[in-house]
Amino acid sequence: MSIAGKARLGFALLLMGLATASQAQDVPALKGLDEAARTNVLQMIEGAKKEGSLNYSDTIIQPTTNDVLVSAFRTYYGLPASFPVNYTLLTSGAMITRIEQELAANRITFDVAAIGSPTWTFERYRAGAFMNYRSREYDAYQDVIKAGLGVDGAFVLNGGYAQIPIWNADILKFDGKSYRDALNAAVPGRFSIGDVVQSESHLTTYAGLRQVLDVDFFKEVAKKKPTFVGRSEQSAQRILTGQDVIAFGGNPSRVHQSNQKGAKLRILYPSEGFTFLPQLTFILAKAPHPNAAKLWIDFILSDAGQKILADKEALISGRANFQSPIPDIAPNFSSLKIIKVDWEKMTADQLMKYREEWISIFNP
Amino acid sequence: MRDTKRRLTLQVALPLVGVIIGVLLIVGPFIAGLARSLMLWVGEDPQFSLANFAWLFTDRRIHQAALNSLICGFGAMSLSLMLGTSLAWIVSRTDVPGRELFKTLNLIPFFFSPYVGAIGWIFLVAPYSGLMQTSIGSFTGESIEGPNIYSLAGVIWILSLFYTPYVYLFVISPLQRMDAAFEDAARVHGASFWTTIRLITLPLLQPGLLSAALIVFVTSAGLFDVPLALTATKGIRTMPTEVFALVRYPSDLGRAAAFGILVTVITIALTLWQRAHLSKRRYEIVSGKGYKPRVTEIRGAARVLALTVEIVFLTTSVVLPVLALILVALSPLWTGRSNPSNATLANFSYVLFDYSLTRQAILNSLFLAVTGATLGVTISGLQSYYLQRGRGRFKGLVDALLALPLGIPGIVLSLFFLIFAIRTPLYGTLAILLIAYVARFFPFATRTISAMLSAIHPELEESARANGASWTQTMRHILLPLLRPALIAAWIMLFIIFIRELGASILLYASGTETISIAMLLLSENSVGYVAALALIQLVLLLGGFTLFRLTKVSAIQ
Repeated sequence: MSIAGKARLGFALLLMGLATASQAQDVPALKGLDEAARTNVLQMIEGAKKEGSLNYSDTIIQPTTNDVLVSAFRTYYGLPASFPVNYTLLTSGAMITRIEQELAANRITFDVAAIGSPTWTFERYRAGAFMNYRSREYDAYQDVIKAGLGVDGAFVLNGGYAQIPIWNADILKFDGKSYRDALNAAVPGRFSIGDVVQSESHLTTYAGLRQVLDVDFFKEVAKKKPTFVGRSEQSAQRILTGQDVIAFGGNPSRVHQSNQKGAKLRILYPSEGFTFLPQLTFILAKAPHPNAAKLWIDFILSDAGQKILADKEALISGRANFQSPIPDIAPNFSSLKIIKVDWEKMTADQLMKYREEWISIFNP
Repeated sequence: MRDTKRRLTLQVALPLVGVIIGVLLIVGPFIAGLARSLMLWVGEDPQFSLANFAWLFTDRRIHQAALNSLICGFGAMSLSLMLGTSLAWIVSRTDVPGRELFKTLNLIPFFFSPYVGAIGWIFLVAPYSGLMQTSIGSFTGESIEGPNIYSLAGVIWILSLFYTPYVYLFVISPLQRMDAAFEDAARVHGASFWTTIRLITLPLLQPGLLSAALIVFVTSAGLFDVPLALTATKGIRTMPTEVFALVRYPSDLGRAAAFGILVTVITIALTLWQRAHLSKRRYEIVSGKGYKPRVTEIRGAARVLALTVEIVFLTTSVVLPVLALILVALSPLWTGRSNPSNATLANFSYVLFDYSLTRQAILNSLFLAVTGATLGVTISGLQSYYLQRGRGRFKGLVDALLALPLGIPGIVLSLFFLIFAIRTPLYGTLAILLIAYVARFFPFATRTISAMLSAIHPELEESARANGASWTQTMRHILLPLLRPALIAAWIMLFIIFIRELGASILLYASGTETISIAMLLLSENSVGYVAALALIQLVLLLGGFTLFRLTKVSAIQ
């Protein structure tokens, strides 16, 4: 190549570089940041581009919601449309099993995960499985962190949900207020409860419910011969088709999504209170793409990320002053009657005792 | 002399390579599983202990799960043997109308995943909401409960429908190749039709029937996805679902491994029994002489009965579940009732074009199926030759060893591989899935090829050798052409199994190595419409492979 040719090529590359830098300077993530924070974010963006992709997993977010999130994530940081974000939707039990195996194998494939299993999350945090990353968005989550739903600089909820009674208004006319009312409405053999053996989140829910409902209540539930359902879609589907008339472990996300397609599902936040399941999100200590992972955490906890999760998944945001777009299904955090459980102090052994108790009652 | 020695070496060495690979595929993970089953962690330190085995014999839930698995295995085996043998006999030994078409159609359920079949049947007859119930209810105006698909009977029904073609495949080839002279001799000496069937035909089919029975029994008893879909929600546990629960957090790999070891020991016993039983008699049904299988003319009630068996089998195993899947896949929101005015292709569009995981899963499954089937048939062909024609002193032991994966539920072998590979670079790769697939399923191919090989009298090869053909020439011009149907049947069998495989994948997949069945399981957390659409795409893939073979004029049952 001649000297003139090299000069032209160099000039072209310089222009491209300036254009890219200019684009990066304009991305939404940088708005309102001071110089140090801007530099930090820009470095992470460049780092993420070099890493080439992001792998994350969640137990709630549907693939269609993921599409919206990923598109917004790329726009938020000015990442190219070709930047791969590989998403895996898993049940809580499957995710824990996978992460435990990857930790044992010392071969981490996930960068970021989110799961509604606080006991396990605290346990793994104490074992040093998570990366310490204090996202600037943590400032907006101090209230929920104080409430025991996160650890500053390690993990916090990207949203929360409940496993509560749901029914189909086309099939069942029900205006009860409590779990007791829901039990009275249950037709023997035609209602479902969460499978505590198969699902970590249902086990967590049971452990919470036992703080306000005694064993005798669950023995009454067992007498009505429920079906044991591990997946929220399954319980919603059984309600939709009329196999069951009521489900005790329904998920507001599925109710919201089904209703958007024309169904008439209803939910009950019971008067006794309910177990709030925080989707605790964290970066794994040996994440293969740490910069991309940090960007994702910043984004998912931001107001922009929270709006998508609330709107598409009916997740209850733990972000300060966040207003739910669908308060009838996903009320604002401050208005909820949440059963108080100290998840940090609850041990895996205690949780296992609840599982054994559940097994002795329901004998699945 | 030197040339002869070289040929003899090749004749011995090649089959041995297949045997050694097979043994290594089994022994490595098995030893890992055995070691894990004998370990108990006290604090941070592992200690030798038999506690995991002691638990197996004392835990009431495990006993109940084992009993349920035995019921499933025995029920499915009995029904499949009855149906499969009947169907094979109808199309190969009677003049039932459309027999050539039925020969092909009977194989279609083989291409189905039993898990998909279970989902299809849930849509069909789920209490109060199945298509059958809602269709009848629309006329009567009543809410109908209908048959209980969420039961052991439901599991046996589904397994029988989808394992009947296994029996059919094992039996139809010997039936078609059976020299009619045996049966003619019985009839000439005054035996009735049923006596001939009982004393001549069925005994000659014993190798195929026993192989099929063993495979259907252990596969049915060890399958975890159908019980997961049908009975887990009713608290009816089976051994595989219990193992699945044990592997889940907080996992107890030791107990799960102990279970696998116990099942393996039982399988060795069954295989040795089968081998001892078959070795007492001779089963050559193909000789160097010309022959033609007898075709029985059936008329009147017998003809109606034969046609009814065919039509009921194909309707219940193919037409109805596929119809249900289509209706669900075309619905934007499945409510148990089909509304044609709302029909949409959105579910297909999503799983094919909008969801990257399913696209990757389809590619992964195709890679695993094609590569795995080719590797599997190659290894199995060599092993079969060793087992049927070899002269090793330890053939019985090798046979039992190579049959081990047959009796190990996919999820347990998957567990053994997990324990084996978890600290190696193989963990989380497609390679570990490929190895596990081949290790888990090559005995299916070995059995298929061995059954055919045992029915080919060595006199054909001996004749060629006596006339100066080398071993490789004999293989190329005599044995391989005769074995071709079995090799192709084995390849198709492995291809199909790998495309729809779930049990061996469930513990070994990682991000980026998902298969179609795993994607289906993951999508079931999302929408039944997506699951139905992906199930139909999987079915099209499988039928496409089958059609390709038919177009090339080569068929498993030719």
